[in-house]
Amino acid sequence: MLLTSFSEIDGQAVRQGPKKLVVLAPEDEEFLLAVKDSTSRGYVEPILIGSEDRIKRLADRIAFDISEIEKIYEDDRQVIADQGIRMLFDGTVDIASKGQIPTAYIYRAIIREESGIRRKTVSVVTLLEIQGLGRLTSFTDTGVSIHPDFQTKLDIIANAVFVFHLLGYRKPRVAVLSGQREIGGSLTSAEHAAAIRKAYEAGEPGECEVMSATCLTDILFPPGKPFSSYDDINLAGSSFPEIMVVPELTTGNILAKLDFAFPHVRRRSLVMSSRGPVIIPSRSDFHDAVTGEIATGVVVAARIKEGTA
Amino acid sequence: MRITNFADIIEEAAGKRRKRLVLAPAPEGGLPEALSRAARDGIVFPIWIGKARAGNQLFETQRIEPYEILDEPEPEKALKLALSLLREGKADILLQGDMAHQPFLDAVLDRETGIGEGKLASFVSLFDPPAPAKLTMITDTYINNFPSLTEKIAIVENAVRLSNLLGLAAPKIAALSAIEQVNPAIRSTLDAAVLAKMSERKQFGQAVIEGPLDIDCAVSEKAAARKGVHSAVTGQTDIYLVPNVEAGTLTTQMFVFVARIPVAGVLMGTSCPVILDLPFVPRENKRVEIALAVLLSGG
Repeated sequence: MLLTSFSEIDGQAVRQGPKKLVVLAPEDEEFLLAVKDSTSRGYVEPILIGSEDRIKRLADRIAFDISEIEKIYEDDRQVIADQGIRMLFDGTVDIASKGQIPTAYIYRAIIREESGIRRKTVSVVTLLEIQGLGRLTSFTDTGVSIHPDFQTKLDIIANAVFVFHLLGYRKPRVAVLSGQREIGGSLTSAEHAAAIRKAYEAGEPGECEVMSATCLTDILFPPGKPFSSYDDINLAGSSFPEIMVVPELTTGNILAKLDFAFPHVRRRSLVMSSRGPVIIPSRSDFHDAVTGEIATGVVVAARIKEGTA
Repeated sequence: MRITNFADIIEEAAGKRRKRLVLAPAPEGGLPEALSRAARDGIVFPIWIGKARAGNQLFETQRIEPYEILDEPEPEKALKLALSLLREGKADILLQGDMAHQPFLDAVLDRETGIGEGKLASFVSLFDPPAPAKLTMITDTYINNFPSLTEKIAIVENAVRLSNLLGLAAPKIAALSAIEQVNPAIRSTLDAAVLAKMSERKQFGQAVIEGPLDIDCAVSEKAAARKGVHSAVTGQTDIYLVPNVEAGTLTTQMFVFVARIPVAGVLMGTSCPVILDLPFVPRENKRVEIALAVLLSGG
């Protein structure tokens, strides 16, 4: 089933839950509130790893009865990350979620586990729901590689394509973004886009369509179709891509979190590891957003198990 | 007067002395709609540099007067002539005609024959969002690929000058990066921290720069507080300074096409206003760009 909105994902999460979720350092009120909400909605059965003091104090404050919930008390941040990610890879849990812990620790733990399996690029897919588009889209990699090279971008695309296949998109469109304009010479990001398009023509990187356009202007207003007024913008009827590969991390971070500026855009980020989704909320996210990300993790985990991909 | 939206810009321009706007190299196909309108409204006096016969016909058909035509069928020469008029004070504003961006900008910014001020040119995407009720800028969104710290200082100064012109004496500027902490591996965080320190020491006059800020901290005071960032800029940003042109152009396009926020572009760093013809600005907003150029040209 094709999932075109976050509310459809939330509906699926109720039907396909509860899944086992390990939460790495739920030591912030908004994060723990999200775990409470996700548990009561039937999305997840959580396991909490983190500092005993902080978890208990916060649980009391938000009236979350954690007496029946499995807890592992640990203070060392890297140990928390390693242990939680291990649980995902050994099959104890279906999903892992970042709490109040530096993201780098989690990426490090995932990369270590992955290296035991096969060489794999770890990347973050930020799913976006844009009002008026009528389907989901995404930016990637919005979290791991600072300056991904051509090969890394191919891996990043493959990871995102996998996620979109799980969400029911048979042949997601991919745009390799660039700030290339008519001036300023050739940007590396534009060279990557051209090389990836060539690789695509030669059969890489999986079941998707790599577009030749490298920015929204080219997608929505290609040569011969002038941008006269805002009434000319028709997102739903356009070939707006499902996957937008950002040129580098800083640009990706700015683009991915524009939901803070735009009330009609919502965001959910995850890392697709070979053993299941790892949810990566932003430290500034509020509990509603984190709960939504957990729901997405539940659906993705369920679909991996069903072999929908 | 504080100008807080595009309608204010148009209204303010209408009250100014009529400016001489030169269109070069003038396209044979037709007059830009916004130029016809500004000419009819008496905001600008159009000077056409191109094929005289085509120009005469266009102005007569559209019943626009007064106007001036200079016959120069060669595009490069037409632009050169326009630039010399601007340098000599015989024209006030340049509107990009029928020429590709790179040769056009090369000629405009040429040290000997252009109208660069010997300073760095940069581009500001100016937005008129429904809320908050004020104009918001993103810069540099077109000219410089990966500006150095020195270049970012000039980019900030250009944007502050535009802010001042729009009646905002002390703009709040967010120097954007991927994170709100200084990380030596990410150069934009270092540049942002230096700019913030310079602003603290009043090196940008009354303008206040905060950085590094990630976009959530810049946009939302609440989000910033969650990350322990407290500043006069968070949630109040007037100018977003982007780390590079990839972020600049792509973010501008998200504002325009996804958020549908009205946009106008302004080239800064030239001795006379220059209106570029960029694909992410809708034709309907050329009118705002002409009005802005009228304000920028003073008097």
